[in-house]
Amino acid sequence: MIQLFHVSKYYDRRPALHDINLQIKKGEFVLLMGPSGAGKTTLLKLLFCADQPDEGQILVQNRNVARLRPRDLPHLRRTMGFVFQDFKLLPKKNVFENVALPLMVQGMSAFDTRRKVGEALKAVGVEHRQHSRPPSLSAGEQQRVCIARGIVNGPMILLADEPTGNMDPDLSSEIIELFKTINARGTTVMIATHNRQVVNQVHRRVVTLNQGRLVSDEGSGE
Amino acid sequence: MRRLSYFVREALRNIRGNRTTTLIAVATTAFTLACFGVFLLLYLNLRGVANSLEDDIQVIIYLADGQSPQAVADFQRRLRAEPEVATLTYVSKEQALADFRTQYPAEHQLLQGLGENPLPASVVVTMAPRFRSSEAVKRWAERLNGAPGVAQVQYNRDWIENLTAVMGFIELAAVGVGIILSAASVTIIASTIRLTLYARRDEVEIMRLIGATGAFIKIPYLLEGAVLGALGGALSLALLRGGFEFFKMQLGSTGRLLGIDSNFGFFPVRVSLAIVLVGLMLGGAGSFVSLMEFGRTRS
Ligand SMILES: Nc1ncnc2c1ncn2[C@@H]1O[C@H](COP(=O)(O)OP(=O)(O)OP(=O)(O)O)[C@@H](O)[C@H]1O
Ligand SMILES: [Mg+2]
Repeated sequence: MIQLFHVSKYYDRRPALHDINLQIKKGEFVLLMGPSGAGKTTLLKLLFCADQPDEGQILVQNRNVARLRPRDLPHLRRTMGFVFQDFKLLPKKNVFENVALPLMVQGMSAFDTRRKVGEALKAVGVEHRQHSRPPSLSAGEQQRVCIARGIVNGPMILLADEPTGNMDPDLSSEIIELFKTINARGTTVMIATHNRQVVNQVHRRVVTLNQGRLVSDEGSGE
Repeated sequence: MRRLSYFVREALRNIRGNRTTTLIAVATTAFTLACFGVFLLLYLNLRGVANSLEDDIQVIIYLADGQSPQAVADFQRRLRAEPEVATLTYVSKEQALADFRTQYPAEHQLLQGLGENPLPASVVVTMAPRFRSSEAVKRWAERLNGAPGVAQVQYNRDWIENLTAVMGFIELAAVGVGIILSAASVTIIASTIRLTLYARRDEVEIMRLIGATGAFIKIPYLLEGAVLGALGGALSLALLRGGFEFFKMQLGSTGRLLGIDSNFGFFPVRVSLAIVLVGLMLGGAGSFVSLMEFGRTRS
């Protein structure tokens, strides 16, 4: 499902990622750990084709992202969901519209959109705020809206960057359970976090980065 | 359908979002289109005048006195057969005198002093459409000048020729001004859209990440440009109309002395729509330009 071969990424000649090799199979649940600045966000961005690696090859769903034509990129992204560390919600649109966007760009009917957005908002527990605009929400609520937007189109791959960073432990464990449910339905899930609580709750494969290097890869499912 | 309403809503939101720049863009587009419109209005009206003058390009053939009625009739029959002749009217000596008396009642003593009727009989010919160029009229008139029984040939071509030259000049100026001003409108709208795009660059980036195609992102901005252009076109029509009515009023009080009647017309509906359409297309082109730039700076 996801393959990285000798992937490196430099910012101002400093490596944010260095010679990463990683294979993730369909249906896996992977935690991406590491201290702040380890390169977790950078790795997820590359997988989401928001950036290109400087060295190495990345295959997502058996497609080499370096050779992707620009007009195929939107279609690849529609099969993925992304939860951004900084949310990236549209401030002038309300919660419902934000979550509906991934469906809107695919041209889904109003009826199906309403149903799916309703389900997604309910799953993360912010359906009561659907007419508010993101700036009026708490950080934890915004984060949940962002998660709802990431899962609303039933993605094949869900990439979540620090998805519980702004939540109390109870809420955090609820959200992790949600990710587990989504994973159980067949979605490949990758979560970047430095939250130990999450690791204790999940007991799945843990990939650890440190200063851009892959330092350990443990508990690979089977 | 759903997407269409989304595109329209987005475009309108952008327009409402930055009112000041929108107003400036619409106003400047309107002004540039109005400048062009002045030339167009002038041109269309002069062409109307020229056409109506062309319709009565007349050649007056004065006949020598003392011809038999038979000879005059023969002469007319020969003229009618010529391809240059569209219509032909015979004015007898008596008719000419009567016309003179009704036109200049004060001067009829002038003629009485001369005793017998000094006015010649004449044949008034309007030219067939394809012989209305000054060259053709001149050639034909010269040929007739030497014909037997013809005293003199007169034609009113020269000043029509001048008018045509003036119109050619206006045409040229309109094209030149039109090109320059179109470029100006495109530039103005392009920079308006550039501002919108700049203000919304994060939003555009997010749309991209969510899987929106380039077209999906761009269409609202193209619409925005088109709407601004069309509004500019409509406003320019309003400006022109206002200016036109004012001009007509001024002409109404002073123009009668010069013998200019208020026969001037505003643009017909078709031309008005075309001006709005031109504004729309210029606006679309403007946003297209800035979207191209935007695409380049990103990659
Ligand atoms: N756009 C950028 N320009 C320059 N340097 C960058 C950029 N993005 C990341 N970096 C650098 O790359 C390194 C890895 O950053 P990254 O955001 O991937 O870390 P992270 O593991 O996600 O950290 P955190 O847990 O704090 O989110 C950092 O040293 C960071 O300064
Ligand atoms: Mg990060």
